[in-house]
Amino acid sequence: MSIVGVDIGGTFTDLVGYENGRIITSKTSTVPADPTEGVAESLRLANCDISAIGELLHGSTIAINTVLERKGAKTALITTEGFRDIYAIGRNNRPDAFNIMFKRPRPLVTRDLTFEVAGRMTATGEELTPLDEARVVALGEQMVKLGVEAVAVCFMHAYNNPAHEVAAGAILRSRFPKLFVTLSHEILREYREYERTSTTALNAFVGPRVDGYLGRLERFVLDRKFAGKIQIMRSNGGTMSIDRARREPVGMMESGPVAGMIGAGRLASLMGWDSVIGFDMGGTTAKATLITGGLAPIEEGYVIGDEFTGQPMQLPVVDIVEVGAGGGSIAWVDATGGLRVGPVSAGADPGPVCYGRGAEEPVVTDADLVLGRLNGDRFLGGAMHLDRGLAAAAIQKKIAEPLGLETVEAALGVARIADAAMSLAVRAVSVNRGIDPRDAVMIAFGGAGPLHAIAIAKEIYIPTVVIPKLPGNFSALGMLMAEWRQDFVRTLFGQLAKVAVADAERAFAELRQAGEEILLADRFAPGIAHFAFAADLRYRGQEHTIPIPVPDAAALTTDTAATSALFDEQHDKRYGHAETGQLIEIVNLRLVVTVPRMEDTIGEWLSQPWEPTETAIEQSRKVVFEDPAKPVDARVLWRPALPAGTEIVGPAVIEEPNSTILIHPGDTARITAAGHIVVTLAPQE
Amino acid sequence: MSSNTKAHPITVEVIRNAINAYADEMALALCKSAYNMMIYEVRDYCCGLIDSQARMISQNKGGLPIFLADLGIAVQDGIERYGLEGFVPGDVVIMNHGGVCGQHLNNVVIYVPCFHEGKVIGFAANRAHWVDIGGSRIGFGSLVSSDIFSEGLQFRSLKLYEGGKRNETLWQIILDNVRFPDSALGDLRAQIASCQLGARRYGELAKRYGTETVESCIATIWDKAELEARAAVEAMPDGTYEAESFLDNDGRNLDTPIRIKVKVIIKGSQMTIDFSELNDQVEGPLNSGYSGGLAAARVAFKCLTQPQAPVNEGCFRSLELILPEGKMLNARPGTAIGQWSVALPTIIDTILLALAPALPDQIPAGHKGDMGGYTFFGARASDGRRFVLMNIYGGGWGGRPHEDGESASVSICQGDVRNAPCELQEIQYPFIIESCSLRQDSGGAGKFRGGLGGEMTLRALQKCFVHFNAERTKCPPWGLGGGLSGATNMGVIRRANGTEEIVYKRSGVPLDEGDRVTFLTAGGGGWGKPRERDTAAIEDDLRKGYISSEAAKRDYGYVAGAARTDQAAE
Repeated sequence: MSIVGVDIGGTFTDLVGYENGRIITSKTSTVPADPTEGVAESLRLANCDISAIGELLHGSTIAINTVLERKGAKTALITTEGFRDIYAIGRNNRPDAFNIMFKRPRPLVTRDLTFEVAGRMTATGEELTPLDEARVVALGEQMVKLGVEAVAVCFMHAYNNPAHEVAAGAILRSRFPKLFVTLSHEILREYREYERTSTTALNAFVGPRVDGYLGRLERFVLDRKFAGKIQIMRSNGGTMSIDRARREPVGMMESGPVAGMIGAGRLASLMGWDSVIGFDMGGTTAKATLITGGLAPIEEGYVIGDEFTGQPMQLPVVDIVEVGAGGGSIAWVDATGGLRVGPVSAGADPGPVCYGRGAEEPVVTDADLVLGRLNGDRFLGGAMHLDRGLAAAAIQKKIAEPLGLETVEAALGVARIADAAMSLAVRAVSVNRGIDPRDAVMIAFGGAGPLHAIAIAKEIYIPTVVIPKLPGNFSALGMLMAEWRQDFVRTLFGQLAKVAVADAERAFAELRQAGEEILLADRFAPGIAHFAFAADLRYRGQEHTIPIPVPDAAALTTDTAATSALFDEQHDKRYGHAETGQLIEIVNLRLVVTVPRMEDTIGEWLSQPWEPTETAIEQSRKVVFEDPAKPVDARVLWRPALPAGTEIVGPAVIEEPNSTILIHPGDTARITAAGHIVVTLAPQE
Repeated sequence: MSSNTKAHPITVEVIRNAINAYADEMALALCKSAYNMMIYEVRDYCCGLIDSQARMISQNKGGLPIFLADLGIAVQDGIERYGLEGFVPGDVVIMNHGGVCGQHLNNVVIYVPCFHEGKVIGFAANRAHWVDIGGSRIGFGSLVSSDIFSEGLQFRSLKLYEGGKRNETLWQIILDNVRFPDSALGDLRAQIASCQLGARRYGELAKRYGTETVESCIATIWDKAELEARAAVEAMPDGTYEAESFLDNDGRNLDTPIRIKVKVIIKGSQMTIDFSELNDQVEGPLNSGYSGGLAAARVAFKCLTQPQAPVNEGCFRSLELILPEGKMLNARPGTAIGQWSVALPTIIDTILLALAPALPDQIPAGHKGDMGGYTFFGARASDGRRFVLMNIYGGGWGGRPHEDGESASVSICQGDVRNAPCELQEIQYPFIIESCSLRQDSGGAGKFRGGLGGEMTLRALQKCFVHFNAERTKCPPWGLGGGLSGATNMGVIRRANGTEEIVYKRSGVPLDEGDRVTFLTAGGGGWGKPRERDTAAIEDDLRKGYISSEAAKRDYGYVAGAARTDQAAE
């Protein structure tokens, strides 16, 4: 049986699979109108036997794009009486603080489709007013008449006692089966009504479209005798069944970027590195994550869209710091003569000037080409020719002339500014979190990552950069290593060591049972899952919490020394101080259920001995590194032809079908036994 | 620091990114480890780097715009007191002195020196709203004080830590004199850690690039910011522009309005904001020190010149301020300033109003014009522990030359300031929130309607007290170009015994279990004549319930199914 991962990105649809003991790959253009077509094409290009696929892993930008383009379903919202406008009011804030024409986030549900229902729970979960069930029925009828396709239900304090949501949901689902119904407590069991409403509405809004797409995808493969499982990548770094993804598509918002970081985490474990920075550079953005002990950290929520008007999404998401700098980022000169790069990207259309598709704005890739760092004849394995003359002319006209610089000098400036911006992302996940970059290793991937990684590493003194095998398809590869994962959270208020034993034990038992139920629903054999509990803790009086792993209820009730010590340590690490001895409060209990992969074929492939697959003759060309007036003769090597153990001292360019690795003068690249490239940077002061 | 040595443009960009990122990082550390809702939810704080001459290098994004002016002023006082040589590594300075900082004493500044090669190269500083600072005022919105001494503890550039050693006497004084010491000291620790982080980062930057390069880059960044701001002022037509509005009263003399008169002079690339004809300082706490006037002028200036660019010293070089002592925004030392910020949204809006004829496409109609927010306090019925619930809420912003105003947003003085979630308020405090909604018909009618205010009702679950502080009830958020005014702020008490009362300003009103309080916030003014509003937009407003059918008829002459008439309202 084979295993195949397909990642649909903004520009390309990537496939990596493991079939009959060998890796298969393909890369094809994404088809935004019908992503299934892109998936079909990628399977065809890879000569993949669909009937032999045991597991198909899939990540897609469909959910997030549906939000960004606001092309979701006609969605309604049902709230507690008195709270119709919670979603529109939001947090009242204006982060775009000095803009008197500021815009606030525009809800995905309009006010005329937002309805109130009587029924109220208190903060402690007691019923204050019973649910007006007749009103729910009437609303259902009204919504159907209005052509509503999806409805979000979010009641006050449903995170604590969801009985009213459960009752309303039962009515809506049984009587109006065509409505896509999302109940807030099914998605998120945490207080903060605006963020929970927003998350619930996001799910409803993207639901019908994602459900339809995944249905078509499933049908497509089933029609071709597919007999395996389809798993969907989710933002928390794990996977979920396609059935769950069709009900809870809000969980797959960050499907794509996350997968590459899983791959990086796996490679880190294989290489035995505890602290690793994953760095992924694509066309529009660069992303960085700090990976510790092979795992990327998880954040509780973020904002979808831009920082001022984006939609809050309060579900666990791999903590990826993203900056608007990528191969396609446009370079420009501002009104005061400052050279800027990004955040606007040329995207796939028209793309860089050097693609020759009529673009006029020079981008980072154009600068790389002018600097001799990219090979115009070998881009995407030679499938696409890059025109250096066009790139140079655009940089000359748009950057060099206005600034009074030489063309190459301007190109170098563009590359350096992009590197500086990207290094901030890398810095944000390392130095800024108390990680000394001099002890860290960077794993760089994505089409453009290996080209810029070493300059970024130099910027913040990272001594070692690793370019894994298949860096240009690394996200699809990462999927093949993702575990099935489900996150649960439940409010549990109390004081550490003072919380009632019965309450704590009940909370653990409830979460455990919820985990068992979903494992059963996804047809996993008993006993194979891993249960990891954590408690959200804070010093009494604080609001924000830190999740601390706890083995059992006793760690919160009777046997708490290790728990409080760990919390103090984490608080100090994050915020620079700890208040040892202060009372510690418990806010939530969390459970992460994971199902490890039974077979670790891709992990094994990552460490399998490397043999060259091709032969090639070494070339050389002029490449600009430090001095724009003095291009340096650099060796140009073809990665598929390099045997394990090869050592290359820069200046050098190592090219491969979907990526290019730039080795700076004095740095040493070595092909490991497994075929990864480890670059040791020349010591800096 | 001079910009004579021209820094490399690439290095400049690297340093520009770095200094702004450091300020944001300081803010995150403060917010996440804070102990009071005013910081962790409401985000009533600012963080930044200050140079060795007390000038602002960078400041965090978001937070309070009116904090942009004067972290430097606070640090300046310490530099004058100790001299740059008087700082050693490990020093932590605390500062909230009313006469110097000019803000209510709850706004406590903490800063630490930043060293490179044994020399002070700057400071990392933050200001955060402490939930209590002692004195007679509990929570914001209290109008009880009449001098600074009744408003709480003052710290004038005191070293809370000297060379890493804590001043236990000072610490004990704070501990014993504030109402919520756990919270105040917790926030204080978070503030210190945030500053230490900022100082460490700035030191690293100096180590990497050298002090000279860093300072020359900063000078270049300031010069660029100045150029940008000057270009924006240059684009405005020269002239002298005036506008006037007024506040209801100072909270003590309820029948005496407060005159807000401003003059703006545009000449070439220079803008002068003249507060000479502003009301004199008042008896109630509605005054501020000089920094209040500076904040008002700078916020207006920043909004008009570089709304998107990071805040630094260079942004304001083309702004001149005329503000004689004794005016309400430059009150004499010792004056009550507990409500220092309350007048600022109106003052800023009046500056914008003055410029409306000169910049017809850039100025919205009047916004809600107050700071918003409520305070409830008391002792918990269960165990007698004190509580204070403070929450900020928004109102309507004015209609704009090309679109309707935004609803339920915080004032022009409050950027990334957030309300406290209803669920969190109910978890922590003895109230049931019965509604939190938009206020129908509160947006001023116009071609482009003003945004809607809000309506919040809380039911007390036990005895407690509440402050009412509704302003701008007599000078409503104005319309522009024929637009109508927005609805005004008000409070309503509905007693459990059935009586009902409308309240504007009153401090410490006692409530019984079951009493309900409703806060109605102002809507924005309308822009342009109501009769020019698209019929489709009126129908959309009706469908969504933003306006009632009565208002549609009254303000727009609209009746469903009938031809529109010219309404009487014009």
